[in-house]
Amino acid sequence: MTVSARSSGDIIRKASKATLILQSFAVLLLMGLVFLLTDISHRYAALQDGVRENALWSVYQLDREARRLHETLHVMLAERDGSSATVKALGTRYDILYSRMNILERTSFEREFKLDSAVERQIADIRSIVFGKVGAFDALASHGSFEPATWAPIDDELEKLVSATESLLVYTNNNVSTDRAEARQAVLALQLKSAWLVVLLVCCVVVLIFILRRQLKSVRLAGLSLEAISNELNDAYLDAEAGNRAKSQFMATMGHEVRTPLNAILGTAELLELSPLPPSVAAGMHTIRRSGQALLEVINEILDFAKIEHGKLDIEVRVVDLQSVLATTIEMVRDRATEQGNQIVLHFPETFRIPVVATDPTRLRQVLLNLLSNAIKFTSKGTITLSVTEAETSQNSILRFEISDTGIGIDQAGLCRLFQPFSQVDASISRKYGGTGLGLTICKQIIEAMMGRIGVESRKGKGSTFWFEIPVVAAVLPAPSAALGDHCLPGTLPILKILLVEDNLVNQQVAAGFLKHLGQKVTVVGDGFESVEAAAHEAFDLILMDMQMPRMDGIEATRLIREAENDRESTPIIAMTANASEDDRRLCEEAGMTGFQSKPISLQQLRAIIETQGLLMSEASTGEVQAIDTENSFAVRKTEIEAALGEEAFQELLSSFFDDATKLLEGMHEALAANDYRSADRLLHTMKGAASSVGLQRIADTSQQLRSGTISENSITRLADTIGEFRQRLAA
Amino acid sequence: MHIRVVLTSLALTALCFPAWAFALDKPKGDVILTVSAPHLDHPNIDETAQFDLHMLEALASRTGEMETPWTEGKVKFSGPLLRSILETAGAHGTKLKIIALNDYSAEVPVEDAEKLDTILATRMNGETMSVRDKGPLFLIYPFDKDASLFNEKYFSRSVWQIKTIEVSE
Repeated sequence: MTVSARSSGDIIRKASKATLILQSFAVLLLMGLVFLLTDISHRYAALQDGVRENALWSVYQLDREARRLHETLHVMLAERDGSSATVKALGTRYDILYSRMNILERTSFEREFKLDSAVERQIADIRSIVFGKVGAFDALASHGSFEPATWAPIDDELEKLVSATESLLVYTNNNVSTDRAEARQAVLALQLKSAWLVVLLVCCVVVLIFILRRQLKSVRLAGLSLEAISNELNDAYLDAEAGNRAKSQFMATMGHEVRTPLNAILGTAELLELSPLPPSVAAGMHTIRRSGQALLEVINEILDFAKIEHGKLDIEVRVVDLQSVLATTIEMVRDRATEQGNQIVLHFPETFRIPVVATDPTRLRQVLLNLLSNAIKFTSKGTITLSVTEAETSQNSILRFEISDTGIGIDQAGLCRLFQPFSQVDASISRKYGGTGLGLTICKQIIEAMMGRIGVESRKGKGSTFWFEIPVVAAVLPAPSAALGDHCLPGTLPILKILLVEDNLVNQQVAAGFLKHLGQKVTVVGDGFESVEAAAHEAFDLILMDMQMPRMDGIEATRLIREAENDRESTPIIAMTANASEDDRRLCEEAGMTGFQSKPISLQQLRAIIETQGLLMSEASTGEVQAIDTENSFAVRKTEIEAALGEEAFQELLSSFFDDATKLLEGMHEALAANDYRSADRLLHTMKGAASSVGLQRIADTSQQLRSGTISENSITRLADTIGEFRQRLAA
Repeated sequence: MHIRVVLTSLALTALCFPAWAFALDKPKGDVILTVSAPHLDHPNIDETAQFDLHMLEALASRTGEMETPWTEGKVKFSGPLLRSILETAGAHGTKLKIIALNDYSAEVPVEDAEKLDTILATRMNGETMSVRDKGPLFLIYPFDKDASLFNEKYFSRSVWQIKTIEVSE
């Protein structure tokens, strides 16, 4: 490629050199033409000069008139004829001769001939004779008397005049002949010059044609070689693209390959944690699950980054309730923060000016989670503050999120490396805190894709503040989803007939174990083909469908099931996949799937799916499972814990909760008395956590409500009443 | 009464026979131009039309200031138009033979008289021209009006010291 590129470059350079030569030739040609034109115009001017009375003719006429005058006078003298007619004729002859002499004077005779002194003398003689007789002829004209005695000497002089004019005529004729010869010579020279010019012209044209041909040829060659280069480049690009695609494919496959066993590990670990275990094993189990989750995060980050690198970052705008996104996000990291001894503080307006916006909740949560996890990771026994403010510009509304921590902070050099892929503040960071170094890059890409800005301010040892701003557009929550939100209290689970379609044995066991644990009726099949058969024979409330399976994949199976359903009510089908790309999501939707869940699926996620499904069903069939209340949530939690830890353990947990609750309430009263609202809030948070862990959802909800409002003695008393009520009821 | 009738009939006769009515007067001064042709409508002497200076200067004329090869600087020529001389003489033909005192002659097509404002100049710079000064008549093309006339073709037709014009078919 480089060789042909260089040669085509040479060709182009040569062509331009040829153009230069061509240009100089053209200039030369032009100059030649100008020269020729000037010469011709000079010649023409000379010809114009020649437009004069012909000198030879003038001299001839002079000679002739001199002769005729002499002859007339001679005859008159010889015949002694003095009649008035002949006298008048003689006068006329003289007048004509006089005018001829005048003409000769005026015809620039001297200018045309280089006169020698002899000729000059001759002309002077002629002039003096002609003009010298004016007196005699004027007298003759006035008197009319012809005296032969007077005119005889004049006749002699006229004879001399005739011989003078004759010799002048001969001289002029010779001169004219010489001139003509010289003129011919000049014309010949001009012709020769013209011929040379024509030859030069022809040469120029020939060279012009030659150079043009060469240039055309080289341009064609250059064009060909450029085309070749472009083809090569195109091929190279295609190769590179193919390589890149293969890499992407490899990444996706590897992601899938890693996530499938990880799914199994995580599921099994979660399942094992639910069963009674000796404390040492339980701790190990916990570590396995935590590490597994961390590994999953890393893999997700890498896959996300790969996607972003290929420009496949999709922003899916949906209607989002800001408050709920923030709440769930905080909940997701609260445990980890507590583990590190950190406190999370949320600062956001009581009510947002635009509470519901159109944005991508998943991506927004991803960025928030990433920044919050970073803040938690690099802070111990400190405070992490998430504050959200709304700003208004002339064009749109902007949401600004700030995540501040009191952690280790970043120095100036480190700040520069942030947001760069695969880079962390320094090597010691990666050793100490781990991580891919991709998180912030991904955040930056996501925020930029959302047309926002991201930035950081930090001082070493004082903590960091990461912030980002995204433009938002107000939206309205659709009514049904609002209703769903109202009902969405964790606790009650409807009992559904579920078809689990999964080829991997371990995944089968985990998912089936979870579902059974959640009290669901589960039918398990190993591939798409069997799922279609099962769905044909039996009606299910829900189908959980793996995507990649032997014999028939999830997409094909869903399509066939939907076809078989025809106009019957369609069964909800939720896809489960480790390949959670946007493409897959689209494929699933096209095949007619109801929902989409990326693997590994946790117990919580399964619970959420079943809850949502139950709610939809209950709405469809006039609220059979309407009785979602705190009692039911308690019952479910009780069953869950009893199944996992045994009945006794649950009772112990319950009584220790009530003991703790009493202490917590006392603490709250004290804190209020001391106006220490922070401690009171912390105590309420502990209360909420403890209550929900034993399934006392109403107590948890009440605690949370108190936290969001102002805490007063009254409200604490109300909480105490609620706790007392439950205590009595459960003791009974 | 009688006289009036006679005058009227004379006038009518004049209208019917224009040849009589415009018969050319005889020259009173020296004859300077003779126009001859096989047939002239208005001859005045011996089947020719002869003009003195006075007669010529009474005809339609033009004056032009121009340069010629035979004069120095701009010169004003004035004189009767050639075509009005031919009309006055009642000459018809296609060719004119202009003959000078020294028997030099040139053939001039009648178109030169009809299409161009060619004059027989009687005066140069307001003065009559003597024979010594190319007089008495000089055929002058309108070089001032049409520069393309300025070449040898018309120079050779520009006869001076003119005495006779012979019109032929």
